[in-house]
Amino acid sequence: MIRLENVSWRRSKKQNTQVLSDLSFSIPQGGFRWLLGPSGAGKSSLLSLLHLETLPTEGRMLLLGKPVSKAEKRAHFVRLRQRIGMVHQDYKLIPGLSVADNVALPLRLQKRPEDEIQDEIQAILKWVGLGERLNAPAASLSGGEQQRTAIARAIIHRPGLILADEPTNALEESQAHRLLDMFAELSDMGTTMVVATHNEALIRRLERPALYLERGRLVRDEGAAP
Amino acid sequence: MMPFSGRKDGLSVSEALPDRSLFTLVAMMSFLAALTLAGATGARALSARWAGGAAQLVTVQVPDPDQPLKPTSNKKDPTGPSRAETVLADLNTLPPGTVVHRLDKEELARLLEPWLGEADNSALPLPAIIRIRLPDRTQVPNDLEQTLTAHVPGTIVEHNASWGERLKALANSLLACAGLALLTVGGIATLVTGLATRAGLSTRRDIIEILHGLGASDGYIAGRFAWRTAMLGLGGSLAGTVLAMVPLLVLFRMAAPFANISFQSDTLLLPDWKTLQNVIPTDMLVAFAALPFAAAFICWITTQSMVRLWLRRLP
Repeated sequence: MIRLENVSWRRSKKQNTQVLSDLSFSIPQGGFRWLLGPSGAGKSSLLSLLHLETLPTEGRMLLLGKPVSKAEKRAHFVRLRQRIGMVHQDYKLIPGLSVADNVALPLRLQKRPEDEIQDEIQAILKWVGLGERLNAPAASLSGGEQQRTAIARAIIHRPGLILADEPTNALEESQAHRLLDMFAELSDMGTTMVVATHNEALIRRLERPALYLERGRLVRDEGAAP
Repeated sequence: MMPFSGRKDGLSVSEALPDRSLFTLVAMMSFLAALTLAGATGARALSARWAGGAAQLVTVQVPDPDQPLKPTSNKKDPTGPSRAETVLADLNTLPPGTVVHRLDKEELARLLEPWLGEADNSALPLPAIIRIRLPDRTQVPNDLEQTLTAHVPGTIVEHNASWGERLKALANSLLACAGLALLTVGGIATLVTGLATRAGLSTRRDIIEILHGLGASDGYIAGRFAWRTAMLGLGGSLAGTVLAMVPLLVLFRMAAPFANISFQSDTLLLPDWKTLQNVIPTDMLVAFAALPFAAAFICWITTQSMVRLWLRRLP
């Protein structure tokens, strides 16, 4: 479950650059939200905040039911991050590693047994259509392949929360539709999802509530109780 | 598998922290540290020597030792105790346990050999040399020199304690200097490791941020870097310490005769290389063995601290 109460975030205290202002919304466990808005509205910043790449400068935030504030110990954030899967717009793969090793990272950091990791890698890469590219260096992948690798890495450890920033912009239509179906399935199974996109066709295909951002402010929350 | 080694996480610490610079610099630091340790061991031995045994030694010189104490009018009958015998008799009043030894002609000749050579020096008017070793925790009577000079004019008493105190102070100063030098070497090693770690962090910044986002703990990331610098420190220090042994062995061989000089022994011969290992103090060998591990620890703790501090900028 996610809950934000009057959350704001400034990029720099000195420059007083307010990126997100006074955000309040909640998403129940297993809830799905589209994150919509024009470029520069703060979608990526909100996803970064939910991914704990930064902390709110004001307000209260609960992530997966746990409080998020500077007062918490660092180990608390490590445990939370291990329960979040993130698909970055620029994929953030490690170029020196193979596809399989990139995808295995979340499991290896959780010290899962290697044989279990290998089984999971085989299954997930087959599912995203990269079963034949297991040992290919990440640097040699096309944009679409990189995006599918990033998606596989974000979901391989079955996180409680999946955040995705334009996860289909390099995918073919059929792949994008498969991905959406999987997101819907994961959401039905109890995974909370927040997906930022500009793709109107996707939004029409998977009709779920949306959060609309403009200039760092939440202008509409379709998931809020009337 | 060693902890944190060979992980497929993209950090590639062996490339981020190349072995040339840190290994070489730690080897040089360890070379200096080993020389300093040897100096410290020597200074400590000197200090102990002057604080203990040497301070209990007294040397008495009696000129014209075989002359009778009191000249008689009858030159044909020079009876009565000689000057040396009179001094020896006076020394019987020293505290119980005192060892009084008059050097015989051979011992005297060996003592003078460095200056006079092996030539026959029986024609020289040599004084009698009497060595006195007092028991521990006893002191030379303050009036000993006065008493001996009054009975046997011209007798000279050389008490080591008076200048032994100064030598002890000098040895302690050397020991303090060695300690400061070791601290400086440790400080430089810390600085060098810190700079290498910072360079490694800057080349792996993006990958660290990705791993951090995927849930890598500070301990994991710091451990990966710290293990690498610790191994480089261990190897470099081992090389530096072994290299330092070469000049030290030569130095020890040269210094061994002086180090061995004792009340009983007066050999001045250089020891054989094979027997040299018996001359090197055990505590110094232990310090040399510990040096690479100390260097590895310095590298490890420096890198751990630096990486953890660096990671503080990320939530």
